[in-house]
Amino acid sequence: MRRPTTSEVRRPATVLALLLVVVLVLPPLLSAYWIDVLTAVAIYSVVALSLNLLIGRVGLVSLGQIAVLALGAWVAAKLAFVSSIPFPLVLLIAGLITLVLGTLVGLPALRLSGLYLALITLMLAGAITVVLSTTNFPNGGPGFLSHTESSFGNPAVRRPDIASSDPAYFRFTVIVAALMFALALWHVRSRPGRAWAAIRQSEPAALAAGVNITLYKLWAWALASFMTGVAGGLLAGSVGKLYTYQFPTRDSIILLAVVLMGGIYSLWGAVVAGALMKLLPALLDDWGLPADLLIILFGVGVLQVLLTAPGGLAAQVPKDFARMGGGLSAVVRRRLAARAERAPTGTAPQEPAP
Amino acid sequence: MPDWQNFEPFIVSGLALGGVYSLSGVGMVVLYRTTGVLNLAFGAVGAMGAFIAWSLINTFGWPAVLAYLACVGFGAAVSLIYGMLAGPPLAGRDPLVKAAATIGLALILLGSMSWIWSDKARSMVLPTTNWRYSVGQVLINWTQIIALALGVLITLTTAVFLRLTGLGTAMRALANDREITAALGVPVRRVEATTWVVSGALSGVAGLLMSNLVGLDAATLTFLVISSLAAALIARLRSLVVTLAAGIVIGLVNALVTPIFSISPYRDMTPFVLAAVALLFLARHQQVSFARRIT
Amino acid sequence: MIEITDLTVRFGGVTPLDGMTVTFDIGTCGLIGPNGAGKTTFFNVLSGFVRPTQGSVRAFGDDLLAMPHYKRARWGLRRTFQTEQAIEELSVADNVALAHEHSRRGNRVSRRADVLDALEFVGLGVAPDVKVETLGARERRLVEIARAVVGSPRVVLLDEPAAGLPDEETEHLGRVIRGIPEYTGALAVLVDHDMSLVSACCEKTAVLDFGKLIAAGPTATVLRDENVVRAYLGTEPVEL
Repeated sequence: MRRPTTSEVRRPATVLALLLVVVLVLPPLLSAYWIDVLTAVAIYSVVALSLNLLIGRVGLVSLGQIAVLALGAWVAAKLAFVSSIPFPLVLLIAGLITLVLGTLVGLPALRLSGLYLALITLMLAGAITVVLSTTNFPNGGPGFLSHTESSFGNPAVRRPDIASSDPAYFRFTVIVAALMFALALWHVRSRPGRAWAAIRQSEPAALAAGVNITLYKLWAWALASFMTGVAGGLLAGSVGKLYTYQFPTRDSIILLAVVLMGGIYSLWGAVVAGALMKLLPALLDDWGLPADLLIILFGVGVLQVLLTAPGGLAAQVPKDFARMGGGLSAVVRRRLAARAERAPTGTAPQEPAP
Repeated sequence: MPDWQNFEPFIVSGLALGGVYSLSGVGMVVLYRTTGVLNLAFGAVGAMGAFIAWSLINTFGWPAVLAYLACVGFGAAVSLIYGMLAGPPLAGRDPLVKAAATIGLALILLGSMSWIWSDKARSMVLPTTNWRYSVGQVLINWTQIIALALGVLITLTTAVFLRLTGLGTAMRALANDREITAALGVPVRRVEATTWVVSGALSGVAGLLMSNLVGLDAATLTFLVISSLAAALIARLRSLVVTLAAGIVIGLVNALVTPIFSISPYRDMTPFVLAAVALLFLARHQQVSFARRIT
Repeated sequence: MIEITDLTVRFGGVTPLDGMTVTFDIGTCGLIGPNGAGKTTFFNVLSGFVRPTQGSVRAFGDDLLAMPHYKRARWGLRRTFQTEQAIEELSVADNVALAHEHSRRGNRVSRRADVLDALEFVGLGVAPDVKVETLGARERRLVEIARAVVGSPRVVLLDEPAAGLPDEETEHLGRVIRGIPEYTGALAVLVDHDMSLVSACCEKTAVLDFGKLIAAGPTATVLRDENVVRAYLGTEPVEL
């Protein structure tokens, strides 16, 4: 294979450095409340990532990821109460079970395209939410079905032994999230990513190249379900006690809004989306502003993205910074050139900045 | 299984709700066929109109009738503004994008509603609800009758209008092909504007009726759009008469499940399940799509 | 060799293909006809996007119509489209790799080499890692053709590759197309309106008009056939 360019080496190094900062430097600096908030940001970034992949890479819209999150949390909680499987394995199994359930739904649903697919995911998610609210989340009571009426005195979903404190669990969550992002990146850079790009642009061209469209759509669907399932497990461990109100259908709509605003053409957009969904409300709360303003903002954001900037913030902000940076460096260069020109010794004046 | 008499009151409430689902469904179908926009903010528009009417009556002391007119007018105005601002830039895009944009509108309205009115429980009592009479063992009030009657009336009127008037024909032409219709000299913008106004007015009416039949609560009202959507989808976003029938059936099924205690907790699933089944039925004959990317 | 027998497509009162029976054998074969004659429909039947009402297609002894569409590419059927369909968000190399990894001879070890080889064959003078969305129409078409010739295809369908290209480009295209059978060992079928391109590339040509085959044989003969001239120019005498 050809040798990587400098910028291609620089990028992973930057990401790794950023990751180390977040994992090592941040936790002792933050209060318990903010650790909680950032844990939620990490978890919902993974959910946003699943939607980011579906919409941005394959062109599929799911309005049911929050229901999938609830399923993942449900399965993880059950496993945690009923067995003593180590927590990372609980996450993996929850992810795999969610993957299977998601694929079962995808098999008939993916025959629909565009709008109808989005609608059916909304409908199925609504139905699942009703079922969950009627059967209730497991909460550590006796027996496999394990739900007791009063959850007072019931144990919280257990956490991994090495990561039971909040800051430690935050680190654990960030690492798992990073693994999910790495998994996504691997997919995008190799065969499935190429097939998805073809499917998204033109299904006939994809078919003519030999891409089995159904298979690759299902693959993306399964991957999205897996990631969201794992996120659900992380959420179960994070909040300890699960209630239906934590997974309102409205959140699936908000998730769509923040994913679009964060940007669907770059995986970073998912991180932005997670921050929009969980960090901003906390910040607003801190500043004494009503959370409803955020809903309005998200609505405006959706309209803005769809009407003008399909790349979202993740594409727009770097461009804005680049433009700003370019402008700044141009100004600096001009100043230096002017100064060089005025210098008494014979250095030739530099070229004016472009 | 409870016996027949236990079902009777639910038949009435089911029919009434069904009427509202039908008239909302018709509003959605006509808008979709003319502009390609499936308006997921339909319920939110009506909900906000109902809240405005409530405030006008209870805070500003307006006479009820004017407040109701304001509600309907609000629905028409907001829909028109949205249609004129967001319609043209998205005109050539996939229906998914157009529908997603209406989600933006819905969020704006939802946020505004919870900001201005917060989550306090409110009741909006239309005067017609106080006029009741009994049929056998059951109490029926006039709001329910109006709901059902309006559902039927609006469906039939719209169907006739689309078939027999010039404007109706223009709408059907637009549904078929926007560009050709424009090339034929039909004032496309004006026809679209009219459709948005009518559809918006219908959502105002639906909001008023629904706030009375179910309750004045932003989230509930907004998500009742699911049931109307289910009716519209069962009609494959095409036939108005099927929308009417489907809306009534959904209302009935949802209500009739209530007295059956074994499955009653799951009754909220009804519109979701029915809509999902309708969609899967629609998917039977999907071919490779030649449409290009959505973004 | 492709044997088409009584191929008919009928839907909604239209019959785009009507009882087409023809055999394409070695090298590059042309398929011409006025607009709406059914040429793209024919390609769409071969690709699997359109189901014929009746008829059969046997290619190299295999029943093509029995295979699901995406499997035909694996079998070795490749095609370019009237409006080019190079995948914009991928690089040039990735576009070609896409076809390679889904083909029957597409193994990972030789992939990079095969891709670069195909790019060189079409004469695309662009670095392989450039994103297609930055390229112009001519380069995109060449990328599409590279995608069609990589990984040992058996049949290559070219749907109006010269459409919208100026004459100099068409010459280069002609050289590439003429070289396809030797480079790949495949049979190529060329649909185009540019008669000089068709004459230069194809030894044999078939002609469709209103879905029916009206002539087939050596290209020079076919182009002079009065049925063909009439199909294109109509029956009015032409005043020169």
